[in-house]
Amino acid sequence: MDSSIAFLIFAATMWAAWRRDPRVAVFLLALGMLFSLAIYLHHATDVLPLSF
Amino acid sequence: MTPANAMKLNAVALYAISAVLLVAFYFQFALGELPCPLCLLQRVAFTALAVGPILTLRHGPRPGQYGLIVLAALLGAAIASRQVLLHIMPGDAGYGSALLGYHFYTWAFFGFVAAIAASTAMLLFQSQFEGDAPRPRPFETAAVWLIFAVTLANAASALLECGFAWCPDTPVHYELLYKPA
Repeated sequence: MDSSIAFLIFAATMWAAWRRDPRVAVFLLALGMLFSLAIYLHHATDVLPLSF
Repeated sequence: MTPANAMKLNAVALYAISAVLLVAFYFQFALGELPCPLCLLQRVAFTALAVGPILTLRHGPRPGQYGLIVLAALLGAAIASRQVLLHIMPGDAGYGSALLGYHFYTWAFFGFVAAIAASTAMLLFQSQFEGDAPRPRPFETAAVWLIFAVTLANAASALLECGFAWCPDTPVHYELLYKPA
């Protein structure tokens, strides 16, 4: 679900870039990148069993 | 370089990003390779790359729009390089299948570095920032709607795979389609 939300934020960003004020698009882009960074940090603590 | 030519190149970039995501879809649905959380994040970063070119097509070329591409590409390169490092030990089979000898996260890293290089090269052409930009043509408008549709398809696919929870570390089935025996 986390990735779906990130995709939807960037879809909204694209919509804003095409139809709205560029400042709204830049704000949404920053929001999406921060959200993606949070997902990245969440998965950085995953336990990864070695495959060798 | 004229503003019109810069817009054409930005449209080509959008088609390239869509092609990358569609190839990933092919391996997911035709070959049954479910993307891991880091793989999904790399796809997310590819969609973030598209925002700068869309702004260029709608409002004309501006230096800051290439800066947005570089920022998104840095995020994507960081995610891809983490996955490369997770599988760098000798004997590790890597995650998923390889294409031309490299796994998809390695190709993604190359793609993000190429995006940074291309954006930096575009910034060298000052003349694209002078004069009025033309209205987007059908070739450019189609590129915007294609990447928009592919992004929405990725949102639906990720929801199907992960369900209404955090994506599992090693996905083996689609959560929303899975019926335990």
